[in-house]
Amino acid sequence: MSYYFTILSPTDVPLFNIAFGTSKSGGDGIARFRFPEAAQNTYMTQFIIHSSLDMLEEAQWMGGNMYLKHIDTYPPASSYISAFLTPSGTRFLLLHQPPQPNLPPSSSSGPGGGSMSLSVTSGMGSSGLFGGSGSSSGRASSSSIAANPTSPQTEEAVRQFMTEVYENYVKTVMSPFYRRGMEVKSPVFRGKVSAAGRKWL
Amino acid sequence: MSSSTKVSRIGEELWKTKIDKVNAELVTLTYGTIVAQLCQDYDGNYHDVNKQLEKMGYNIGMRLIEDFLAKSNAGRCANFRETADMISKVGFKIFLNVTPTVTNWTSDNNQFSLIFDENPLADFVELPDDGRAQDELWFSNILCGVLRGSLEMVQMQIEAHFVSDVLRGDDTTEMRVSLVRYIEDEMPPEDD
Amino acid sequence: MPVYSLIIINKAGGLVYQREFQPGLRKLSTNDYLVLAGTFHGVHAITRSITPKIPNQNAVSVTSSTTQTPTPTTTAAAAAAASPSSTSVLSPSSTSIPTPTPTPTPLSTTSTTTPALPPSTSTPSNATYTYPIPNLPLSGLETLESDKFTLTCFQTLTGTKFLLFTDPQMANIEGIMKTVYELYADYVMKNPFYQLEMPVRCEAFERGVGGFLRARG
Repeated sequence: MSYYFTILSPTDVPLFNIAFGTSKSGGDGIARFRFPEAAQNTYMTQFIIHSSLDMLEEAQWMGGNMYLKHIDTYPPASSYISAFLTPSGTRFLLLHQPPQPNLPPSSSSGPGGGSMSLSVTSGMGSSGLFGGSGSSSGRASSSSIAANPTSPQTEEAVRQFMTEVYENYVKTVMSPFYRRGMEVKSPVFRGKVSAAGRKWL
Repeated sequence: MSSSTKVSRIGEELWKTKIDKVNAELVTLTYGTIVAQLCQDYDGNYHDVNKQLEKMGYNIGMRLIEDFLAKSNAGRCANFRETADMISKVGFKIFLNVTPTVTNWTSDNNQFSLIFDENPLADFVELPDDGRAQDELWFSNILCGVLRGSLEMVQMQIEAHFVSDVLRGDDTTEMRVSLVRYIEDEMPPEDD
Repeated sequence: MPVYSLIIINKAGGLVYQREFQPGLRKLSTNDYLVLAGTFHGVHAITRSITPKIPNQNAVSVTSSTTQTPTPTTTAAAAAAASPSSTSVLSPSSTSIPTPTPTPTPLSTTSTTTPALPPSTSTPSNATYTYPIPNLPLSGLETLESDKFTLTCFQTLTGTKFLLFTDPQMANIEGIMKTVYELYADYVMKNPFYQLEMPVRCEAFERGVGGFLRARG
């Protein structure tokens, strides 16, 4: 599982980006995205995330929750987007890409989880680590997170991650030298986000 | 050292009974905004910012000392060591709810250090990463001024400056305080 | 048992505050109050400097250590002070007016001693000492009594003096003084627009101190 996390200002200015991989199930925490063309690796994530903004803007008025769960899927790269809104309109977006895109889930609208067992067979990159997880249902949540981006366990883990990042984000922007709309450069914050990623994802 | 524990009891007691509390974030954000604004107004000239903060603190200290004396009912300190204890265990305690450690005395008892384990003024703060703030700005420099102002009002001329700050990546936050002299202008003329 | 009036004198001897709370004292002109403040300031300094010096540490508490302290201020003429208070038998009353009472009720007479225990090492008689001599807070005139009023002076460590004119019967002046000092610290010193050492013109202080001292009357 590889993750790309980004913070966007209410006016869609990117404030913060970080890519990381899972640390569950023995993952080494390094992101290994796979896109149809290798050259796209560097910017595809950003492209996908920004393309989900329309969905986000629709979803944000549907309920009062800050955590909007999984809002969008980009099947060609089997990428899933989860979103979190701060009350001031800053958006936290997390793209996750399961280790092996061999069998992209047929529908992104079925968050039931159990029905979407990924059969992970051959490994490339870090995916070999998950070779054994044939079915996600009934597994420990860690492997579910890794294998199944839309299961309740995943949603929960992402929620925890988002909440923790949000807490640290608030502290960071409380720094008197941070001005609204400025890029978040704080190394402390970056460290905290990585830690949250290791802890929950 | 029993006098030292007595002093810290005074501080605790005052903190519990006499002090109006205020939300810590309010203080932190207010102070932070002031410093950030100064940095902007002085166009990133951090030496001037330090100086200005010190001056502001000096003006605060000259006023705050009366409040300190009125609340603490403190008498005159017998020596500079007692003063240091008073500053840490009563002064900082009642105004910021911290008690910096008094240490690193010189042999003539005229200089000591205050080590701050926590600093409510600097919560959340990350210095600007312009490559200079880390080396030049003393974020909490107002405290130096407060000490100078308040001690001057009780006839002690001191000099105070920070020597390290965790905000800059140092291990500790340390302020050095030196007694310059006792001010004698109020001395009655000596009869011969 | 009213508090008649309050005077605040800055460390340079200037009058910064004067207010009557109960009628009873003769009114003076503004100029006279300024003169009174300046005079008192001077007298206070003198009374402090004439604090007896004690040659050495032992035998001080017994002998005539804290004796001659004449405090003839301008207003002291009428001061028919209570006869030497009995708290310390030893204090040899040299004059009828002032007798230092080191212990319990320092308010009952005019005392110009060190409020701390007299036996501590007193001012070295000829050594050039720095001020403040730590350990040895010299205070000047503290109270002055007449049969019509009591004047109590409280000097803060910063040099500001608070003078309370009260009814001679009034008790716990120390407590009142403390509250007045706290009000001063709050409403005067913390008022950012109050200029240090300048005359006090703070509405909130007026209200606070008025409410507090009138309630005593």
